[in-house]
Amino acid sequence: MSAFRAGLRALFDYADSLLEQAFGARWNPCAQLGALGWLCFWLVAGTGIYLYIFVDTGVTAAYESVESLTHRQWWAGGIMRSLHRYASDAMILLAGVHLLREFAHDRMRGVRWFAWVTGLLLLPLIYACGVTGYWMVWDRLAQYVAQTTTEWLDALPLFAEPLARNFLDASHLSGRFFTLMAYIHIFAPLALLLFMWVHIQRHSGARVNPERGLAIGTLLMLTALSLTWPAMSQPAADLGTVAAVLPLDWFYLAVYPLIDRHGGAAVWLGVLAAGAVLFALPWLPPLRRPLPAVVDLNNCNGCGRCATDCPFGAIEMAPRTDAAAYTQQALVDPDRCVSCGLCVGACPTATPFRRAAALQAGIELPELRAAELRDQVVAIGGGLTVRPRILVFHCEHSAPLPHADASLGIVPLPCIGMLPPSFLDFVLSRGHADGILLAGCRSGECHFRLGDRFTEERIAGLRDPALRERVPRERVGLTWCGTTERRRRLADLGAFRSALLQAPAAVSAPVHGRTAWRLAAQAGVYTVSALLIGTVSCWPNYRQLEPDAAVVKLSFSHAAQRVEACAQLTTAELARLPINMRVRTNCRRDRWPVTVDLVFDGKLLYHGTHLAAGLQNDGPSTIYRRFAVPAGPHALTVRIRDTGRTSGYDYEASRGITLRPGRSFVIDFASAGTGFTFRGSEG
Amino acid sequence: MGFLEWRDDFRIGIPEVDHEHRQLIGLINSLHGRLVGPGQGAGIGEFLGELHAQISAHFALEETVMRSRRYAEFADHKQDHERLLDEIREIMDGYELHGRYDARTLSDALDTWFGEHFRTRDARLHAALATAGD
Ligand code: HEM
Ligand code: SF4
Ligand code: SF4
Ligand SMILES: [Fe+2]
Ligand SMILES: [Fe+2]
Repeated sequence: MSAFRAGLRALFDYADSLLEQAFGARWNPCAQLGALGWLCFWLVAGTGIYLYIFVDTGVTAAYESVESLTHRQWWAGGIMRSLHRYASDAMILLAGVHLLREFAHDRMRGVRWFAWVTGLLLLPLIYACGVTGYWMVWDRLAQYVAQTTTEWLDALPLFAEPLARNFLDASHLSGRFFTLMAYIHIFAPLALLLFMWVHIQRHSGARVNPERGLAIGTLLMLTALSLTWPAMSQPAADLGTVAAVLPLDWFYLAVYPLIDRHGGAAVWLGVLAAGAVLFALPWLPPLRRPLPAVVDLNNCNGCGRCATDCPFGAIEMAPRTDAAAYTQQALVDPDRCVSCGLCVGACPTATPFRRAAALQAGIELPELRAAELRDQVVAIGGGLTVRPRILVFHCEHSAPLPHADASLGIVPLPCIGMLPPSFLDFVLSRGHADGILLAGCRSGECHFRLGDRFTEERIAGLRDPALRERVPRERVGLTWCGTTERRRRLADLGAFRSALLQAPAAVSAPVHGRTAWRLAAQAGVYTVSALLIGTVSCWPNYRQLEPDAAVVKLSFSHAAQRVEACAQLTTAELARLPINMRVRTNCRRDRWPVTVDLVFDGKLLYHGTHLAAGLQNDGPSTIYRRFAVPAGPHALTVRIRDTGRTSGYDYEASRGITLRPGRSFVIDFASAGTGFTFRGSEG
Repeated sequence: MGFLEWRDDFRIGIPEVDHEHRQLIGLINSLHGRLVGPGQGAGIGEFLGELHAQISAHFALEETVMRSRRYAEFADHKQDHERLLDEIREIMDGYELHGRYDARTLSDALDTWFGEHFRTRDARLHAALATAGD
């Protein structure tokens, strides 16, 4: 598992490097997948409202209304429809990559379980939105979706009557069911929005809006895709027909062919097993968890900076619990703390200028106290003898550094954001080094979300505590590199070293690539994404039925005979009963199972026994089975046994039929009156 | 050159800020005592470091108070805090690195350094909060 995770992480890191070169650190789409997901949600919601104005949610008029929107209003409604579809597809794609990415970076431990688990809960909601959406069009694809979805749900022991019977043939089609789906299609997105909001509740300042340039690029991409490859309907639904070949949207319907092939129950098992593993991941080994931050009341005056900066909302400003003259104090919720140390970096008392013995910050990481950090800085700085003496503060989650030597000292940190700016002032003003290199995660992708941003803002004087202006900026270098970017890190180190030699010339971050190249690369990324979305949303085709096959559906609901005939009680027997139970006819309620045989051209195609429904087996037995058979003339015999007899049948019918390719044929049964009915494509 | 002295009308009316003002004045005065008193300047560097830490924390708290009350002159007041922090760092380095230390000048410098801010910016904050409060 951990090898898989490491591999995936390296893969992401390479992709990140490329994307960062094309888009720059701020626009890097990989660093804002969640925010892009939000953008797509708003896009889907907005276009959905437009579609709702024009589309009929009744089963008879739905298809026509969508068709007319698509063709007669292609310049607006058509584009809206396509955007609605493609943005939904993009959402699945983004959620999937986002999931893999959080997994690869192991961002699910400790408190982070919350975002992980709520994120997983978003998936079924997104799918519910998408599946009901395809239903709304009521074309052949919708028909397939309706049939397979209901068959899949029927594999759960939830419904007394198979839902799939609603789509047996035109005579069973129910407008109410269709309208129910329309409601789900409207309410599931609202639930999704609520859960998306819950999903980021434990992230202070979670990013829900992508960088404007990236948002515009994404919108342009989806619009271009919609114009060149508009979303279209299949022919109108017709329950007597089975579409042999269908263009599936694999983003949403990838499991449907599996349901056809392996049955609903097997796919449920698979989905639930995969879900259980995913849900359990935050608690699976390796489990090491560093100690959470602790507050020292003697050094905390309740200024609140730590609470402002904690990326996980783990600090609350609470009423004082000691007798000090202050009203507030910081209070850490250890269950939400990930031990990043950003709070230490924010606390004004975490300054190394203090007396070494007294150096105790208002908030501390027990595993790396400010005093220890100061001691390390002094000791490691003291070991540097060759100029330029470089002291690197190294984030443990970022690209590795070369070995320390006489001109390179390394102080490891859980996150660069843990370093209070006064440490930079201290190191440089006291001459513990000639230059400081802050080596953290890739820009915008801090392992603890915000460390790189806060560091830059503190250095620029935009965030408290600010790095004092007197600190020579040319002696402070930044290198933001992902885990695999060893070479880039070496290059940054080299550049910093030579800049130091010529100091006070400013050290500027190396700029990657030229503008034209970058624009072209961005266009390339958008094109590939658009092609991916457009293609997977309708290709490859799925063959539901062989070319010259037809479908026979055997389905009915029938209450078998009761196991015991009702007994007539004698007057004497009645008199012995309590007065409120004196009923002359005493019936046991349970019924026999129904046994069904379907003989097809002399061969037994189906044989099954169906128990009566209900806790006391007193309801009807139901059956719903679908068979693909060769087209052409056939001889059919159906037999039913609904009593306790051990041989022979209670009902039987035979028929010679001719099945046309791609048509479906229904065998139904009603004990009262009609008996067996045969409906569908005959001769 | 006068000593800073705590007076009741220095009170801003926010107990924790008042408490820190009183503490800081005490701290500066005791530094003053050390500088000119007997035993002349022992442990001054560390003392300055402690003062620096406390004053940083004090400014952080005062800024939070100002922000939460939407104090109109916040920007100006905050800028003065930053200037003071720069200055105390100059004083610290002057002492620590260059042995620039003359009891009387250092003492004067500290007095003007904090006293000035205290008598102007913090007093104005006091006035503003007093009228806004009740
Ligand atoms: C379309 C659906 C989703 C949207 C819109 C979404 C959105 C977001 C956003 C905005 C953030 C905050 C990022 C930040 O500012 O640092 C986030 C974080 C996170 N998401 Fe999602 N997410 C979605 C689906 C998922 C899924 C399916 C998972 C997988 C389980 C997931 C797992 C996580 C995790 C673990 C974090 C926390 C990362 C951290 O602790 O730094 N999300 N998501
Ligand atoms: S930053 Fe430090 S002093 Fe301020 S509230 Fe947090 S722990 Fe207390
Ligand atoms: S270490 Fe500090 S900033 Fe980081 S999560 Fe814990 S309390 Fe929040
Ligand atoms: Fe002030
Ligand atoms: Fe003050």
